[in-house]
Amino acid sequence: MPRLPAPVSPRRRAALYTAASALALLLTSCSGATVGQVKSFESFDEVRAEAEGQTVDLWMYGGDEQGNAYVDDVLAPAAREQGVILRRVPVADTQDAVNRVLSERQAGRDDGSVDLVWVNGANFSTGRQAEVWRCGWTDLLPNMEYTDREDPLILSDFGTPVDGCEAPWHKAQFTFFYDSEAIADPPTSLAGILEWATANPGRFTYPAPPDFTGSVFLREVLLSAAGGADQVPLEYSEEAFDEHAPAALQALSEVAPSLWREGSTYPRDEQALNTLFANDEVDIAMTYGPATLTDLVAAGALPESTKVLTLDEGTVGNASFLAIPANAADAAGAMIVANIALSPEQQAAKADPAIWGQFAVLDTELLTPAQQDQFELLPESPIVPDYAELSRNAHGELAADWVPALSEAWRQDVASDR
Amino acid sequence: MSRGQGPTTTGRAVLFALPAVFPVVAVLGVSLAAAVLQSLGLMPFIGPPSFSVEAWTGNTGELVRATGLSLNIAATATVLSVCIGFLIAAYVLASPRMGWIVGALSAATIPIPHLIGAGAIGLLLSDSGFLERVLGMPAAFPALVGGPWWIAAITEYAWKESAFVALVVLGSIARSVGDLCDAAATLGATARQRVFRVVLPLAMPSLAVSALIVFVYTLGSYEPVWLLGPTSPEPLPVRAVRLFGSVDLTARPEAMASALVSVAVGAGVILIGILVVRRSREFR
Repeated sequence: MPRLPAPVSPRRRAALYTAASALALLLTSCSGATVGQVKSFESFDEVRAEAEGQTVDLWMYGGDEQGNAYVDDVLAPAAREQGVILRRVPVADTQDAVNRVLSERQAGRDDGSVDLVWVNGANFSTGRQAEVWRCGWTDLLPNMEYTDREDPLILSDFGTPVDGCEAPWHKAQFTFFYDSEAIADPPTSLAGILEWATANPGRFTYPAPPDFTGSVFLREVLLSAAGGADQVPLEYSEEAFDEHAPAALQALSEVAPSLWREGSTYPRDEQALNTLFANDEVDIAMTYGPATLTDLVAAGALPESTKVLTLDEGTVGNASFLAIPANAADAAGAMIVANIALSPEQQAAKADPAIWGQFAVLDTELLTPAQQDQFELLPESPIVPDYAELSRNAHGELAADWVPALSEAWRQDVASDR
Repeated sequence: MSRGQGPTTTGRAVLFALPAVFPVVAVLGVSLAAAVLQSLGLMPFIGPPSFSVEAWTGNTGELVRATGLSLNIAATATVLSVCIGFLIAAYVLASPRMGWIVGALSAATIPIPHLIGAGAIGLLLSDSGFLERVLGMPAAFPALVGGPWWIAAITEYAWKESAFVALVVLGSIARSVGDLCDAAATLGATARQRVFRVVLPLAMPSLAVSALIVFVYTLGSYEPVWLLGPTSPEPLPVRAVRLFGSVDLTARPEAMASALVSVAVGAGVILIGILVVRRSREFR
């Protein structure tokens, strides 16, 4: 029997109209949302008064066990002493936190669930473009006096002016490391690493951009292929990209057949690369957090023969920051936490390789002798040289706009190629 | 659909269904509408809204490739799940004692989240994983995880979803199949004949429906393909999530276009599936 569509009854039509208008209402309430005026503070005492009893949600990359332990066991208790409860929200990638802020803003929420984000680079610049950060608040923090106001790493973040939109937290240095049992005579430059990879097929690879570590490697290859960090303008422009990117992509395409799995696939992230390194599938790996190496070797996650590989031309260094979204529900509490995190006591504790080993952002010359002692008494790592040696000949980061452009080009030219 | 019901009955039925249907339609409708608007540049994060189909037409080649790959993975996983799932069900029906254990194992598989399943498969099948260590053949071990044939990801789907298929089939035919099998056996049917002439036809409707569910699920599923697949090419969900999380805010429309393509393909498959199931005699 053929089935005939049933005629729409008036009642059903009415129900349809109701549903449609409800939908329209929901839709319109979502669009055109704007965030209300951000309440500003005149003094830090005002911040303190407002922060009392607030619960601050710190959204941060959750893949670093030591970092998680530092925040939970050292920073959070210090915050509690000042009347602020610090809650760590682990995310797989900082982009998730930025996305959350963006989505909440699009939904018109003034009481955002993200109060503080561990951020730098492209995520910071994306947030600035979309105007999601609270700005001009870091001058209120008393502990900013211990930082060097002229330090380029603190003044600009991947070429984006910081403008008081984020408080410095630590410094980092991009670092290669290798298995000293497998490589007796390690390369001393990035070009040397690529040559070594060609000569030792299957023993080198890098995380696939847009992974954070993978895209740093991409930028390092760009600078190396261009003949040095001073050859590439920090500012992104299409002309500069067209001038310098092809050489880097070509170098990576040429080395691809000699990579792990003949370059048909790449590790997903730094952890996946570390796993390959630990399983003796590759002999050279890389990280933007060399501080974690000490602990990884001590815990047996990386072999004892792991050694840091410093390059003659230096590697890229940066600082990472704590930013407060403009719609954060507990902004005052977040400022208290950012201030505590900058204190010499916290920075020294954080620099201890047994705790986290992150390099301090403070200028030790501005500290009292007692405070300086805290840093000088830090135990030395058997694997990681100190910051001064790691950052020898270091160069700054390219502007954030380079990051997505290079990742996309890599995906088109290098990854899809094979 | 039966005829002859008065308008009051229909009206009441609609009214009863409304509390369940309205939230689903509203949530789906709003999110799909928002996705369409974002894909067309009408809901940007920065700047004024401006209509553009760039996200759909800008990189059609990659979008088509991703769609083809997703369809391939989903189809292979579905075929495997349905075949294995049916065999499990037939085994459980045929040998009650051992079958009970197999049935319980299948049921225990269902609540394991796909992310955990994918992680476990990764540990089992990766280059220096459990299997490779047990076999002790590092050089000859094939690239199952991250390899060009998506073997690890498809294995994960086939493992989890075959258990689902088996449970659906068992649930739908367990009552009726026993007597019919006994009758067939009395008439001299071999075990093989009973499985393919009695159990299979009885299981067809539930197999078809569960195949549809498995196909649409695997088409839109993210974790196993992300965790166990190669960097490139990308299936639709992986592409959508990567672009959605991109630091480049202008990639958001492309992410929405990818997501909408997978929604459209899924909806299309469901429609075709329903039509086939309704038309075909075997499924009535």
